[in-house]
Amino acid sequence: MKKINVVNKRYLWLGVAAFFVALSLVFIFTRGFNFGVEFIGGSEILVRTEGNMIEQDLRQALIEISNDFAGARVTRVRSAGDPAGVVKFSVTVPKTFGVDEKQKIVNELEKKLTVKGFKAEVVSFNETGGTAAEEIRRLTWRAILITLVAILAYITLRFNFVFGVGAIAALVHDVLVTLGFFSMFRYEINVPAVAALLTLIGYSLNNTIVVYDRVRENMKKFKGKDIPTLIDESINQVLTRTLNTSLTTFIVVFVLLLFAGNTIKPFAFGLSVGVIVGTYSSLFVAVPLVLRWIKYR
Amino acid sequence: MKAERVRLVVVLAVFVLAVVALLWPSPDQNYKGLAKLFQRVRLGLDIRGGARLEYRVDVEPGVENPSQVVDDVWTVLRNRLDSAGYTEATLRKSFRENHSFIVVEIPAATDTTSAEKLLGSIGVMYFGQVLDESAIDPSTDPRLMDLARIKRAQWLPSRDGKVWYLVRQEIMLVKDLKLVSPRIVTASPVPETRVGRFGYKVTFELSSKDAEVFKRITQQLVVPESAVGTAPSREKRLAIVLDDVVQFAGYVISVIPDGKAEITGNFSLEEAQQLAAILRSGALPARLEKVSAGWVAPLLGSDIVRTSLMAGVIGLILVMIYMVIFYGVQGVVADIALVYNTILLFGVLAATRSILTLPGIAGILFTIGTTVDGNIIIAERIKEELKAGKSVKAAIMAGFDRSFFTLFDANLTTIIAGLVLYYFGTGTVKGFATTLIIGVIGSFFVNMVLSRLLTDAFHSLIRIPKAAERGVES
Repeated sequence: MKKINVVNKRYLWLGVAAFFVALSLVFIFTRGFNFGVEFIGGSEILVRTEGNMIEQDLRQALIEISNDFAGARVTRVRSAGDPAGVVKFSVTVPKTFGVDEKQKIVNELEKKLTVKGFKAEVVSFNETGGTAAEEIRRLTWRAILITLVAILAYITLRFNFVFGVGAIAALVHDVLVTLGFFSMFRYEINVPAVAALLTLIGYSLNNTIVVYDRVRENMKKFKGKDIPTLIDESINQVLTRTLNTSLTTFIVVFVLLLFAGNTIKPFAFGLSVGVIVGTYSSLFVAVPLVLRWIKYR
Repeated sequence: MKAERVRLVVVLAVFVLAVVALLWPSPDQNYKGLAKLFQRVRLGLDIRGGARLEYRVDVEPGVENPSQVVDDVWTVLRNRLDSAGYTEATLRKSFRENHSFIVVEIPAATDTTSAEKLLGSIGVMYFGQVLDESAIDPSTDPRLMDLARIKRAQWLPSRDGKVWYLVRQEIMLVKDLKLVSPRIVTASPVPETRVGRFGYKVTFELSSKDAEVFKRITQQLVVPESAVGTAPSREKRLAIVLDDVVQFAGYVISVIPDGKAEITGNFSLEEAQQLAAILRSGALPARLEKVSAGWVAPLLGSDIVRTSLMAGVIGLILVMIYMVIFYGVQGVVADIALVYNTILLFGVLAATRSILTLPGIAGILFTIGTTVDGNIIIAERIKEELKAGKSVKAAIMAGFDRSFFTLFDANLTTIIAGLVLYYFGTGTVKGFATTLIIGVIGSFFVNMVLSRLLTDAFHSLIRIPKAAERGVES
């Protein structure tokens, strides 16, 4: 494999990373996120239909039942592998309903759609209270922060603090860019999506550690060698491995993205993006960023 | 040679254990064909369909033993569920951020409504006296509200919300003659036997302490059967109030001296069961706040399983092909390791009775990544050692030894992320963390033991790269 020049062109590589981080931040701040009901509180109704029902039919039926649905989000979720002719619609509203109201909504919706000639069935009705949503948000942030801190501590212990900083920088890059893609493509951020983010942290770190491990090994082996050259060599040595691993992982999560249903699509999307940005950051951000501070011990 | 034999024994033993765990007879064997292999793996509600309710237990501040209160709530809820026929439901206590939670999962339930009604009845229970009733909402009529004030009573709705009853806690205004939070020893639905009645009635028995009070109440309220329905008798009905809702209102036709009473009303079995459950469980000792509720139809679950399984199988096959093309014999080793680790993972899930959720399936797919990664790291390392001029045997040994710490560090960090996820995650995410942690540990074992065994066995097939470069020194 042709060698790539990481160290000399590091400003180019870091520039690309910085560009994507900036782009993501722009999207995050201007477009925001499409949060799932777990994060904002509210209800999600999933309707499974056979036949040619469209969003309009469902929306109309919903508004006839209650005005609460005037601002509802209705999206079509069709995943490969569903029986032919089956389409699912997801309805989300930032409101929870009482016990009787829920029953009424389910019954009336099914009745109204049947009257209109569609074979439809409410297949799930999930709700999260406002305080619970708040709690989930808080715990999620905490989980991400604790993961990062735990990892920084571990790398400091096993490698050294400078590497720890590089790894965290790479991870922050990964999380931001992945979140940016979520914002860009309007993918829903639900609890599985957060699981994807945390897995991505683990995955990207896995890659970064393989690079660091090689740098550490070569630093012991070739003490006194010019550090930029040594780092270039190290990165190139693990390049085939990193690309192959990323490719195989990408195959798995991408197939999942193509086939998966509504609930895990955000998860698969997060990991598909994450594997790419995680690989990039491990090779071109984690070490080059802290190059200046790496010293022989 | 000796190390190889040890590895072989360990690999076979672990495999046999995993398969035994999977095939161990279980009471609920309802899968057919290939799926039989996985019948011991418990599926989460998001896959098999069912209802899930999560409540936060708000214990009053200053309570001496809060965990006892939570235990009591748990028992009460369990009783309510059992007596309403939800015996398959599971109830879990969980604790986070200084709050106690109770998670109720009811497999195969198609909605949460009836369970919510049952569990949501949370207020105080008491026996009261019905003074009047109204078919219109009393809050819209000032005269009715005045009446309540004069009579020192309260308008409370019936269970179906169509009738309102004027209820007073103190019976016949006799000071302290009231029965609040009675202890009911048993309550059960019994088929009606008397002529002219049908369906079910509910019998119940009060604790001896409360039986005495109940006797005095029935003495005050008793009306002869012939007078039932007349104007004076209408002010002497007994109401069972729970959560400010009149669960039942009826006449006392004889004094009940021993606390053993029955409620008749031509109930259906379901109604009788619910009333009995309410009586038996009484009032909850703490407030419950519903945090989330939801249900998934089994239909949706089976759609999801089909697509996820298909995604898994296709992904797996593509990766396996890729590995064989790129790494030859070592790719075959990786593929065997992959299948082995998947079986191992399912075996551990079956043995520990962990619940496989949808994100859990995603976790399994992700494990494919880690397992392959380990093999790639090792294979690349061996290639490097061969390029450096080592013999195949020496290269294998060095390859595995040097990969050990790389893989150890890499996998341990993934496990750290998994543990945080498990600790902070709710419901389904915990399932993801579980499969991730099991899978990563499994892949480390498989990489270090099984892959080594197979690589040693196939060492004669490993090709030596032509160009022997010399790494960093070049």
